[in-house]
Amino acid sequence: MEYKLRKAEAKDVPDILRLVKELAKYEEMEHQVTLTEKELLEDGFGDTPFYHCIIAEIQGGGSSDDAKVVGFAMYYFTYDPWVGKQLYLEEFYVMDEYRGLGIGSEILRHLSDLAMKTRCTGMMFVVAENNEPSIQFYKRRGAEDLSQEEGWRLYRIDKSSLVKMATPGEE
Amino acid sequence: MEEQVILTEKELLEDGFGDHPFYHCLVAEVPSDQRTSEGYTVIAFAMYYFTYDPWIGKLLYLEDFYVMEQFRGFGIGSQILKVLSETAVRTRCSSMHFIVAENNKKSIEFYKRRGAADLSYEEGWRLFAIDKERLMKMSAK
Repeated sequence: MEYKLRKAEAKDVPDILRLVKELAKYEEMEHQVTLTEKELLEDGFGDTPFYHCIIAEIQGGGSSDDAKVVGFAMYYFTYDPWVGKQLYLEEFYVMDEYRGLGIGSEILRHLSDLAMKTRCTGMMFVVAENNEPSIQFYKRRGAEDLSQEEGWRLYRIDKSSLVKMATPGEE
Repeated sequence: MEEQVILTEKELLEDGFGDHPFYHCLVAEVPSDQRTSEGYTVIAFAMYYFTYDPWIGKLLYLEDFYVMEQFRGFGIGSQILKVLSETAVRTRCSSMHFIVAENNKKSIEFYKRRGAADLSYEEGWRLFAIDKERLMKMSAK
């Protein structure tokens, strides 16, 4: 099956949201996706993009209108104060029926290439501890579990707590 | 782990103050009559940048946060976190994320007092990294 990888454009926003929801469904958390196409458009294709996407597209049999988006990776650049720029892989998904064709490997190869071109010293991402297939996929490519090796834990302060901190209190 | 800091002033300058900043910093400065014995007036900082959660949108990511030892206990850290919270709310971020070493009890308490939740514990997230050498191997294939 013919497929190609390309940089996402504004017109891909509906497909990006569709795939984000599909992946969330796979994790049984679809109702937690509150992001809208409007926000994805503003945040990814405005003056300052807050994320970037690579799209995997299957070529249709007929005209170019037949092209179907079957996979994507969402990434952005982060900064490690000891070594500099990092490429952060936020989301990575290939539709079930299109797996096993090497699309995932190709996306990762493309991202590695991009990381090198943009002078990043590494690529980082989180994986759920019970997601064995993904853990193995990444370990085969040299990924190290920093949570295990260095004891890092991810924390979150949510909006209501931020608002509490930002507003002057009784202090 | 000081020897692991290989970043240079040149890179920090390009990466933070060029056309496209890859990070932002907040610094705390004391009046010159309170400067340190080496003459420093910048005595604390926080480094942050914006990340993106595909379910909810923009997030503020706190990368580094430090107050020089002799200036702790005066509420400088709390004030820095307050300004970061204001920045997050103003830029329409849904939350602030950061990592903490599991054995850093003091920091964990500091953050938990302010409402932080341990997502590694609650949702099972583990942080992974692929280093430059392996990236080069993959990109060359």
